Amino acid sequence: MTSDPRLRVPLVIVTALVIHLSVLSRLRVAGVMPDLMLLLAVAGGITGGSVQGAVIGFVSGMTVDFFLETPLGLSGLVFSVTGYCVGVAQTGILRSAWWIPMLTAFVASAAGQLLFAVAGAVVGATPIDTGHLLVVLLVVGVTNALLAPLALRLVGWSLARQARPGVYVA
Amino acid sequence: MAVYRRSRRHRFVLFLLVLTSVTVITLDFRGGDGGFLDDARGGIRDLFAPVQSAADRVFAPVGDFFGGLTRYGDVKAENERLRRELEEARSRNLRQAGSEREREKLLALQQLEFGSNVPAVAARVVSTSPSNFQLTLTIDRGSEHRVAEGMPVVTGAGLVGRVVDVSRSRATVLLITDRSSNVGVRLQSSGDVGVAKGSGARDPLTVDLVDVETNVAEGEAVVTSGLQQSVFPPAIPVGRVRSARVPPGALQKEITVDPVVDLGRVEFVKVLHWDPQP
Repeated sequence: MTSDPRLRVPLVIVTALVIHLSVLSRLRVAGVMPDLMLLLAVAGGITGGSVQGAVIGFVSGMTVDFFLETPLGLSGLVFSVTGYCVGVAQTGILRSAWWIPMLTAFVASAAGQLLFAVAGAVVGATPIDTGHLLVVLLVVGVTNALLAPLALRLVGWSLARQARPGVYVA
Repeated sequence: MAVYRRSRRHRFVLFLLVLTSVTVITLDFRGGDGGFLDDARGGIRDLFAPVQSAADRVFAPVGDFFGGLTRYGDVKAENERLRRELEEARSRNLRQAGSEREREKLLALQQLEFGSNVPAVAARVVSTSPSNFQLTLTIDRGSEHRVAEGMPVVTGAGLVGRVVDVSRSRATVLLITDRSSNVGVRLQSSGDVGVAKGSGARDPLTVDLVDVETNVAEGEAVVTSGLQQSVFPPAIPVGRVRSARVPPGALQKEITVDPVVDLGRVEFVKVLHWDPQP
């Protein structure tokens, strides 16, 4: 296979999109599905730093936007900011324990969903319902944390990074 | 110094991405329906439709398996309930066949609009919304089957929602339980009209604008009002009243309504070619 990230990243994003639309949209917990596309941004931030996180977040967000009824670009905006912030937060963290990426995925995914809900409410696309929003944050946080090892491997492969021992291997 | 410069470059990249996103959001809003971005969205959905159908066929058993695991008890209880209801419905059907014919004749006589007379196109639900904030369905009929935005979508039981987005081979239906959905409704026994708003997949609809003096019975049928310029034709069943109460000091009744259609498990729908009358 090619090792060029310019080919690998789109390949990973399209694969993730198929899984997101066909598999994850059926596997709902309390009516809420995991957000794999957001998780790609988080994984990009963890693996490649702030710029890679922002770029992967932007591309995956814009991709999923084509399949949503919210305004085009909303996920792109939210995911790129999320990926960037994860990248910034990652620098300076001593990466040793296996659970740190999962905890990062939990916090960042919940924060990303919150940002999406707020941004959606600001543009008038999705009215906020606090009770439902809390469930969404919790479920997406937990399910994304569980999916994090898989996403990290995918994104790490796409960026042609070698997984450092004890870092991405859960 | 180098670190400072690098983080500035990073921030610049983020700034560019955010600016691009905001520009796209704005263009999408201003372009509205039929704008360039709307076409692009439709095009990409059509392009992706075969891939999605194939993946859905492959992965449908996965979803069913997990769904079956978590809902086994529900399914069993539901099966029993459905058998019971089927028996009741059969006998009711027999009794009502006569009166139904009579009613249709009367309606025809008065030239009233009747739901079943609206031309319709049948469609299969291909996927649910890949979102946690919007409740939509995707159906396998699009503009090439004369499906257009705003058309009402029903099942044999009642109202599902309305079409909000159309591409060549696919259409997206906003469910009546979505938080941004509003349906003009009429309470069957009193004839009072109100607006049924969605409040999420697991919660009943809430009906606003019904006077405190109105008598509302539990289990009462709620149908679309079909008032002038309404999005929906009149008399499509929407749901049954779950509860009705007057909070102290309120100016309207607080009514909740359970949708008649099991919106979590819709497989086939009909899109009504309904033009809101001027």
